[in-house]
Amino acid sequence: MPEILENENPTILNVSQLPSRSRKGPSARAGPDSAFDSLLYPSQPWLSSSSQSSSSEDEEDSSPIDEQDIFDLIAPISDPEHPHTLGQLSVVRLPDIHIQHPSDGGSRLTTVTVDLTPTINHCSLATVIGLAVRYRLEQTLPPDWRVDIRMKDGTHAQDDQVNKQLGDKERVCAALENETLKGMLEKMLEGC
Amino acid sequence: MAQFKQWALQYVLSEDESAQIEIAQKAAREIESTRASSTVVGNWAASVQQWMTLASPNDEDDEMEDGDEGNSGDVISRAKALGFLAATLEFLDRTILRPDQVLRLIGFFGAMFSYDHKAGITASAKALRKLYAMKSFKPEMGVKIIEDVCQIKEDFRLQTAATRLEIYELFLELVQDPAVSSELQHKHGSSCGFALDLLQLCKNERDPRNLMVWFKILTTLVKDYSTSEEVTEEIFKTFSAYFPISLRASSTPIGITAEDLKEAVRGCFSAHQRLASHAFPFLMQKLDQGDAVTVAVKVDILKTIKACIEQYDNPQVSIVPHIEKIWGSLKYEVRNGEVKETIDATLEVLRAIARKLDGTKTQKLDVSLLKGYIDIVFRDCRDDLANPTYTKQAGLLLMTVVTTNIRGYVLYNATFIDNIRQNLRQPKSPSHTCDLLLLVNSVLKTRIDLVENRKEGHPDDEEQLKTESHSHIRELFHDVYLPIWTGKASEAGSEEKGVLKQVVQGLALLANQKVLLPDGNVFLLYPAPLCSEICSLLTAALTKGLSLSSRDNQANDTALEDEVVVGLRSVVMSFTDGYDEIATRAKAEISKRDWASPSEYSLGALKDLLSRLIFIGCSKIPTCTDAEGRSKKTYSPLQHFIAAIDTLLGLFPLSSSPTAANTYLISSLHAALIWFRDACTTKYEKKSPLPHSTSDKNWLEEFRTLPEDWLTQLHRGDDAIEFLNKDDPEVYHQFLKLSLFAVRRLYRDATAPSQKAWAEQSLTQLAQTAALVVQNLDEKLQIACRLSQEAFRFFTESEEPTSLESPLNGLLTVGILQGLRPGAMTELYEPGGVAERFLCDTADTVYSSSRAADIRAAIGAILANKYKGGPSTSDPESLTMKRVLDFWGDWLKKTTASTDVSPEKFKNLNNVAMHIIGGAIARQDKNVVELIPILQQAAASPQVNGEAVAQSLGILVKANELLTPESHAVVRRFYKQWAYTHLVKPLYELARPTAENSLAATRYSLAILSVVSNCQFTIYQDDLEPLIRLLVTALKSRSKISEEAAQSHVISALEILVEIILNDSGALKGYVKEIVRGTTNVYQQSMPKKTLAQPVKPAILTQSRKLALQVLGAIPKTFEERYTLQYAPPTQRMLAMACGDPVRKVREAARSARANWAKVV
Repeated sequence: MPEILENENPTILNVSQLPSRSRKGPSARAGPDSAFDSLLYPSQPWLSSSSQSSSSEDEEDSSPIDEQDIFDLIAPISDPEHPHTLGQLSVVRLPDIHIQHPSDGGSRLTTVTVDLTPTINHCSLATVIGLAVRYRLEQTLPPDWRVDIRMKDGTHAQDDQVNKQLGDKERVCAALENETLKGMLEKMLEGC
Repeated sequence: MAQFKQWALQYVLSEDESAQIEIAQKAAREIESTRASSTVVGNWAASVQQWMTLASPNDEDDEMEDGDEGNSGDVISRAKALGFLAATLEFLDRTILRPDQVLRLIGFFGAMFSYDHKAGITASAKALRKLYAMKSFKPEMGVKIIEDVCQIKEDFRLQTAATRLEIYELFLELVQDPAVSSELQHKHGSSCGFALDLLQLCKNERDPRNLMVWFKILTTLVKDYSTSEEVTEEIFKTFSAYFPISLRASSTPIGITAEDLKEAVRGCFSAHQRLASHAFPFLMQKLDQGDAVTVAVKVDILKTIKACIEQYDNPQVSIVPHIEKIWGSLKYEVRNGEVKETIDATLEVLRAIARKLDGTKTQKLDVSLLKGYIDIVFRDCRDDLANPTYTKQAGLLLMTVVTTNIRGYVLYNATFIDNIRQNLRQPKSPSHTCDLLLLVNSVLKTRIDLVENRKEGHPDDEEQLKTESHSHIRELFHDVYLPIWTGKASEAGSEEKGVLKQVVQGLALLANQKVLLPDGNVFLLYPAPLCSEICSLLTAALTKGLSLSSRDNQANDTALEDEVVVGLRSVVMSFTDGYDEIATRAKAEISKRDWASPSEYSLGALKDLLSRLIFIGCSKIPTCTDAEGRSKKTYSPLQHFIAAIDTLLGLFPLSSSPTAANTYLISSLHAALIWFRDACTTKYEKKSPLPHSTSDKNWLEEFRTLPEDWLTQLHRGDDAIEFLNKDDPEVYHQFLKLSLFAVRRLYRDATAPSQKAWAEQSLTQLAQTAALVVQNLDEKLQIACRLSQEAFRFFTESEEPTSLESPLNGLLTVGILQGLRPGAMTELYEPGGVAERFLCDTADTVYSSSRAADIRAAIGAILANKYKGGPSTSDPESLTMKRVLDFWGDWLKKTTASTDVSPEKFKNLNNVAMHIIGGAIARQDKNVVELIPILQQAAASPQVNGEAVAQSLGILVKANELLTPESHAVVRRFYKQWAYTHLVKPLYELARPTAENSLAATRYSLAILSVVSNCQFTIYQDDLEPLIRLLVTALKSRSKISEEAAQSHVISALEILVEIILNDSGALKGYVKEIVRGTTNVYQQSMPKKTLAQPVKPAILTQSRKLALQVLGAIPKTFEERYTLQYAPPTQRMLAMACGDPVRKVREAARSARANWAKVV
């Protein structure tokens, strides 16, 4: 890790500003007067015995992995040089995550593409960040998913090279065998 | 002589501390027995002579030569020998030695400091401390001791820390002794030569424990001795060299923290105003070092300055000359500071100065001092107010000095507010406006506090408040707040919202300003019409939601409305007329609309408005303050509550069909009660628990004589509410009465034959409201009102219970029963009475749906639980409950032996039966024991209904939300153990997978797991072995039971496994393979099927999968790798697949399990 920070003052988003599932759609109001709302407007009928599964919210419906899920997986990765997460630093942004489901008859693989935006365009840690994102997703997605990590066009001085490195399976494997690099990744993934 | 010598020898040779103490005690007793005759004391002192090489014989005070280091060699023995003398002194009666003996001994031990630096010091110091404590100790001896001890000079540093501590303690005792002190001052005068010797001796101390004592000595020297300027400076140099002090972390705790040391040094700095001319420049210079100073050091410096300011007397001389300099340094800490801690500490210093210059509670200083100080601050800060970068900081500084005390406030608040106002006329940006408003608000807030706490200061303060001019505050509304509000209210940017929030806070503060009249009375500063204007301004912001359409009001951010709600609540606490206006306005807005088929948006707006209206009026109890032009209505702590519930009742029903709008009104009534109850608890319970009603008057009887619109009359103020106007805990009692009146009215309405406005949700809320009221009445009152009858009569005049017909009305029954105390319910249990008829009813009509059965079950559980039979009750022989249980026993026997009753109907009735039995089990009714074999048999019955029984046995011990201590349920502490022992224990043997009757075995297993999964671990921990066998089988096979029962069997098994892993994972060691395979199996079998017909609800399947993964994921964390390694590869593959599960929650569990298993390699 460089001694001198390459980008001393990145813009930092507040955790509440990050996109999240709970804030989508109409949410419950949390004003000073709504302290007893769960009691006054319960989601289940009173004295109902069929509600054995205590968590029968709409979450139980099937909900395939979507972009927000991917974002939630990688946004908490911490940056190697700032005490913030990739989400807070906008390195990972929800609109830059794309999932491509298999078309009929074609391959059965689902592909997720994540475009990263480094905080500055000569960031030397871009590959490490890319590697961490890749490593995290490979650890948490089912085996029939393909992960494609790239630098967003024009955000990095050497995006071609970085993309090439991140796309090269063998180099990725080799990198993960490197103890120092592995240690660094684990540290970045601590908050996940 | 010989004896002392013997003892001394023994002492020296002994290694055992208790033996040494014993010897010393003997020696002390020997001296005491001879009344300390010279010979004996001489002999005693001479007894150590043999270790004092080169010492002349026979004379105890003879000087000892320090033995030649090489050949005496026996320093340790010598030290011990001297220790013998010191220890003897410790046990010697402090009155026994004569002055001349004390003097000679002091001479002897004092001499050690000149000669025996190796062995003599510790013991001598100890001995001298003991001698100081002797009765015949004379002050001049103290002077001698100090002189003697100082002879040690450079060798002091070479002593161990413990020895030095002994000497420090000696010094401290001496300098603190008033007699010794005056002797020292008499001898040395202000030049205090001894002090210089001490400083010389101790200046290099570094041990934290010693430093603590040393700083105390220095503090005493400065404080109690009138030292000359030079000596003071020397002392200052000595302790200031340690500043700022820190403590290196040490592995051996010494019981002293860095904070202790800091405080001790601080004590030195603030010891006496004589130090002022040294201390302030020194501290300022440290502070002004800029970035070199860390935050912790800065805070230390600031705290030290504050301590000096607070402690120094005679501020004119000690503080005033330094103020300019202090302010010059400190202002930048706030103006340009970024760290909260330093800013706070700085403000504390500034506040301390203002307090000091004002004077004390008993004596005020000349006003020019305070004026001079505030003028300096004003001079520097005034211009900053116009600069948006520094507005906040400048305001903070001004606020701090102006509002520290009443005198400063009265002198300067007008100027301050005027300055802010001028800037508000030409704000540089919205955030500038925001900052400036924040300042005015802060001043207003502080003003409230100052008026409130006026009696705590000097009597002059109160007088000053009486004559204070407040026209500038009166003008704030029209001059400042109103123009900004009207200017910005239509804009919706986030910055504007910030400004508006400040305006709202400001308006609330304005309406709460009080003035102190010359006669001592307190009045609201703003006249009623102005307060009223504030109310209507703010209320408009709340009712706006109703009039807008959903397109116009898409903002999800309700921060401004929330601020308005809090603001209005604060307004109506003082301006009590305000709440009526708000309620009337809200009522008018709501009734203007048609609620027959409202849009979702309108319903949301209605819900919000009602919720806010209730919060404003009921979450706090108003106080009584007079205002100009106030209405003549009598004040009552309950007035807002009455207005709120009358408004709600007046609006009900909003629609003649059962819409959500009607439900919201009832929910809001429930909310009003909860809020007000909590407000009573907060306000009154501090002194004593809220009183339960103590009268045994029949309130219901009284209600019959009252008009239907009694609450409206109270609200209007027609009916005298004198009985409600005292602000004391009795309010709570009256609150319950009014609530019961409202509940009664709504119960009658809900059960009227033609009613159509009540949806199930409304009935639920009403029932819970009733429960809240009833449970807070005491037994006497519940009996007097015959509330148990009302549970079935719903406050109507009919004699016959009406509840038995309409299933949903059962909710209302639950409401009342839930709040009743068992003692108030006995009337129900007379043989053949309401309860028995109700409990033994299997008529088809009431069990038409599972919902009806649920409600029946709830009533049954309460009735069975709160049953009280025996002498002096209406069931003297306690037979009613036995008959009820027998009835259900027979029913179970009959229905499980045949297929006469359809499974659907059986399930509903069985649910009721289990709840009734469960209610009795919680009370540990002994009649249940006879029923248990029947339950077991029923569960094992080969008929299909048996399975339903087995599956539902868990209900018997499941926590029931209705049976809680608050609702006066009878829940015995160990009822679950009791039920487990009787019901489950005998079944383990029969449930073994290898048992003969395999169908029965499966059913028993189903029953056991159903019960156990509702018990805590401690209850079944003795039966883990057979239990785990059942769990493993449950995960593996699903033969002989229906798909639905199998799923619930598996879920119970997994829940129990989670508990076991948490509490005693060791028991599972032999079953790792089975659990891994079982959970994997469960996961795969619980995937949702593609086919349309699903025998099991998806939610249940999801729960199975989630629990299976949870258990599986806990395995590698619980067991060492050698147990899990062989299962890792297939499990890891399976978990990787599970990460793609269709349900999000399951995926989460899969991911965490996968991460755990990934570590197994």
